[in-house]
Amino acid sequence: MAHKLEVNNLRISFRTVNGKVQAVRDISFHLDQGETLAIVGESGSGKSVTSKAILGIQAANAITESGEIIYEGMDLLKISEEEFHKIRGDKISMIFQDPMSSLNPIVRIGKQLTEAMVLKGKARQRESRANFNSYLKLLENAMVASSDAADAAKIRKMCGDFDKFEFKHIELEKAYSEARENAADALDAVNILTFEMEKNAHNDSTYRVGEIVSRSKGSKHEYVVSDKYPRLSELAGKLNGQWRRARRSRDYSEILPTLYEMRDILNEALAKPTPDFFRMGYYVTFSGQPLPDMPVPEMNEYLLNYLNDSFMNEFVRYAERAVEHSADESYAKMSEAINVLNAGLPVFAEEKLDRKACREELKKLSAAVMATVDKLNIHKDSLTYTFNSSMKSEIDTYFDSIGKNAKEVRAHDRAQKKYDKAVARGKAPDYEVADAAVIDLELVKGNISHLIVRLVQHYEQLLAERGTRDYEAETVAAIDYLKTNASGVVEKVTKSVAKRRAIKLMEEVGIAEPQRRYKQYPFEFSGGMRQRIVIAIALAANPDILICDEPTTALDVTIQSQILELINRLKAERKLSVIFITHDLGVVANMADHVAVMYAGKIVEYGTSEDVFYHAAHPYTWALLSSMPDLDTNEKLEAIPGTPPNMIYPPKGDAFAARNKYAMQIDFERQPPMFKISDTHYAATWLLHPDAPKVDPPKAVRDRIERMRMKREENANASAE
Amino acid sequence: MQVQNNPETLLRVEHLCQYFGPTKAVDDVSFDIHKGEVFGLVGESGCGKTTTGRSIIKLYNITSGSVYFKGVRIAAGKKSYLDAIAEAKKTAKENPERRAEMETVIAEQRRLLREADNDQKNCDKMYSSQLQAEVKAKYETLLADAPEGERDELKRRYRDEMHKAKKTKLVTQIQMIFQDPIASLDPRMTVREIIAEGLQIQGERDKKVIDDKVYEMLELVGLVREHASRYPHEFSGGQRQRIGVARSIIMNPELIIADEPVSALDVSVQAQVINLLNELRERFGLTILFIAHDLSVVKYFSDRIGVMYYGKMVELADSDELFLNPLHPYTRSLLSAIPLPDPIYEKNRKRIVYNPLAEHDYSVDKPSFREIKPGHFVQCNDAEYEKYLTILK
Repeated sequence: MAHKLEVNNLRISFRTVNGKVQAVRDISFHLDQGETLAIVGESGSGKSVTSKAILGIQAANAITESGEIIYEGMDLLKISEEEFHKIRGDKISMIFQDPMSSLNPIVRIGKQLTEAMVLKGKARQRESRANFNSYLKLLENAMVASSDAADAAKIRKMCGDFDKFEFKHIELEKAYSEARENAADALDAVNILTFEMEKNAHNDSTYRVGEIVSRSKGSKHEYVVSDKYPRLSELAGKLNGQWRRARRSRDYSEILPTLYEMRDILNEALAKPTPDFFRMGYYVTFSGQPLPDMPVPEMNEYLLNYLNDSFMNEFVRYAERAVEHSADESYAKMSEAINVLNAGLPVFAEEKLDRKACREELKKLSAAVMATVDKLNIHKDSLTYTFNSSMKSEIDTYFDSIGKNAKEVRAHDRAQKKYDKAVARGKAPDYEVADAAVIDLELVKGNISHLIVRLVQHYEQLLAERGTRDYEAETVAAIDYLKTNASGVVEKVTKSVAKRRAIKLMEEVGIAEPQRRYKQYPFEFSGGMRQRIVIAIALAANPDILICDEPTTALDVTIQSQILELINRLKAERKLSVIFITHDLGVVANMADHVAVMYAGKIVEYGTSEDVFYHAAHPYTWALLSSMPDLDTNEKLEAIPGTPPNMIYPPKGDAFAARNKYAMQIDFERQPPMFKISDTHYAATWLLHPDAPKVDPPKAVRDRIERMRMKREENANASAE
Repeated sequence: MQVQNNPETLLRVEHLCQYFGPTKAVDDVSFDIHKGEVFGLVGESGCGKTTTGRSIIKLYNITSGSVYFKGVRIAAGKKSYLDAIAEAKKTAKENPERRAEMETVIAEQRRLLREADNDQKNCDKMYSSQLQAEVKAKYETLLADAPEGERDELKRRYRDEMHKAKKTKLVTQIQMIFQDPIASLDPRMTVREIIAEGLQIQGERDKKVIDDKVYEMLELVGLVREHASRYPHEFSGGQRQRIGVARSIIMNPELIIADEPVSALDVSVQAQVINLLNELRERFGLTILFIAHDLSVVKYFSDRIGVMYYGKMVELADSDELFLNPLHPYTRSLLSAIPLPDPIYEKNRKRIVYNPLAEHDYSVDKPSFREIKPGHFVQCNDAEYEKYLTILK
């Protein structure tokens, strides 16, 4: 499967008065759906710069020298600000390190939490509507094209029907889930209130009573609280009066029976089986008869048969044929595109590129490449989509650099002359002349050819894998895609819905009395609380990818643990992908599926968290692991001596060599390549070269791994007994 | 002036309360810090650890309770006495026959109140006059015996020392290291000025002495002389924290209150600063009150640990004992939340949730801070006390 996010050969520098600081030097990694990647390293290692590049919020003096960040068929380094608006905070969200500067001081917390939800809710609705319509239209056309001409009218009618009953389905389902959610919330509140009353304590109980009353009112639905509803609302009314009396007398004995009864009703309601509304939607729309009177499981079965016999089987058959047909077309175009691309290659390989010829050729290539797009395939082929923008930006860089380079060289010569003059006059200037920031034209040209060659290889690979495609699964995915978008159209985020969600989120990130806090301003919150609000805002957007930049460093362990659990839960529920930046290795061990250790703008070790913690291979990882005390450390900590290198003049060899006690001569002379240790584990250190002497990790690291192993075994034994 | 003499105990905190309006930031906290030990204070943010540290160093006027440093009461709150007086007045009003008895109580409480007020305001003055007396006694004999030629020199030295004795405060023997190494250094002062400021305030006027001292401190914390003329922004986070350490060490303190000194630093730098504090501690026999929320660091660095929860101290024990036999449910919950660098362990770690309402029933039986085992104190009531005793057996 395609990766959710791909970063390739990213290189970012900052222009400063002293010269160019190379913050990120050629890093590549990828992130899959539902995966957590932890990036570990000291400050200044380029972790935050990388994450900010993904979000398109780099500092003004940043220069992106090369690379690409691919997300859903877009190269995030090249898309316009306008397009970024649709992604930032919605699809990709970030939790910032500094809670002070990421909240607006003059807007209430509640408003800040709900604002994005409401705004994005509307945008999402529009987008879902557009997606649904256009995709259904595409599918319809492909179905018609792939079948006999005689079936065309029938197919068009089927698609119209699908449109109709799909929205009926969503309507039914929405009413049900609203009622169910209300019942669940009411039950939560009842449970908390019961607990408080039993313990003879009440915190925000008035709020809870109100919550119970209003939420149980909304729980009326045929498949949730149906025949017991009158009793429930009667109890809710009674509760209100009883609570008012009990608050004065401090005697809660009267309330408890009411609460118990409500709890039983709600529990029973929530235990009922869920009907399948997709099937029901079709039946209700087209059968013209009332729903059969039978228990839910049997009814589901009955409805399924009805749907399949009269509609679905045929529809799926047509759809599958359409998907296959569209894929075949795309493959044919791919073979053509390969020829066009190969033919175009020489134009970009000439000694000196010609602006006009390049532009013309690019137009031709792009047209051929875009023709290969299989519009019915839900997974966008990112290389195809980004080809035009990547090529264009590289070509622009080439021609812009010709002028810029000359300018840079002139500026450098002037500064050098001034410096030399000063020296000749016997002065000792207290600055150095920075090297001219010249862009290597040959390198840019190489990048252009590489883009073309890579795409050709990619197409060849796709053509070779042609036999392995599963059109049946793709058809199911396509129909699911339609369903998701349809539900996006119906789902409406009103202010009150947003408020309810916000309060729930605040509770989840550990803020007491959220309904009171909701109305306060940021200055009324402590630093830890503010950080939690920032986390809640990032999560409220319901993003695809969440970037966490040291989110819990300032929080204490209990809250940290609570928030990590929350992120892990959301990750499991929504298949969220997370990039987690931190220097706390304990947190990394908790969160990460994969770990990338960064030092001086490079990834020095990459692997699964088991690889990195149990079989660490890079001396820098060793140093990080041994400089941290754990609960059993008694000996002196092994601090890493010295400081990270000055990235204006990055070291020639391994950047960590100067602080590394295992450094060899070659570490100072040549940069180590990424050595492969296993399929999942890579490290850039010369120690892994076959000719290098065998070196064991430091004692502190080995001891800890051993100790941890023993502890685990002990625990396993203890729990076995 | 209330004085307690126990050479082992450097700092004694008795029933310390610090209220900000209705908020009880610190509520009835008592503990001792022995000479030469590191006392760790942990708890979640907002539980009152930092307030406790700041109350000890008199950054706040405490509401009630006492703080003894080297046996001298340096801070005292009035609220407990005022409450007792009000209570006595009320009793007297309700039971006229006990009036006489209550009046003696009121008189006694008023005396204590005056004493507390006096200690709170004048402990530094009294300490300084004591020093002045010592200097005077020392130089009187010297001056009497000195030959004519050396007399002027001796007089000059006497004046200098007298000046210093006048300026010296007892509280300056407690120094603080702050959490944020950027915010706690004045960006417009050079490192020399930052480190020397305390000395100058204490009355040191000799520029050479100051410079020598500053250089000595810089070298001690792993910086070099050349750094003295630079400004804070030219340093990395770890180096800035070293400057903060140098600034407190130069005052030759007996007690250092380190308020989250490594939380804002990178892992590799954290180790450097912790190692530095450990070296200094061995070299000068420093006593440290270490406030932090990173339990691995606290465990590594401290001899004894106090756990705070919502303004109360809930458990206090030797650090090994605390991690081996945590008794209070909050401590257990806290320990269960520590992340360790071990993925398999981490993926199976279960956090214990602490809910005071569910854990304790204090409606009838009120809790107090009791010693379960020598050196191991827990906040508990009678029933819990029995339970904890059986657990430890």
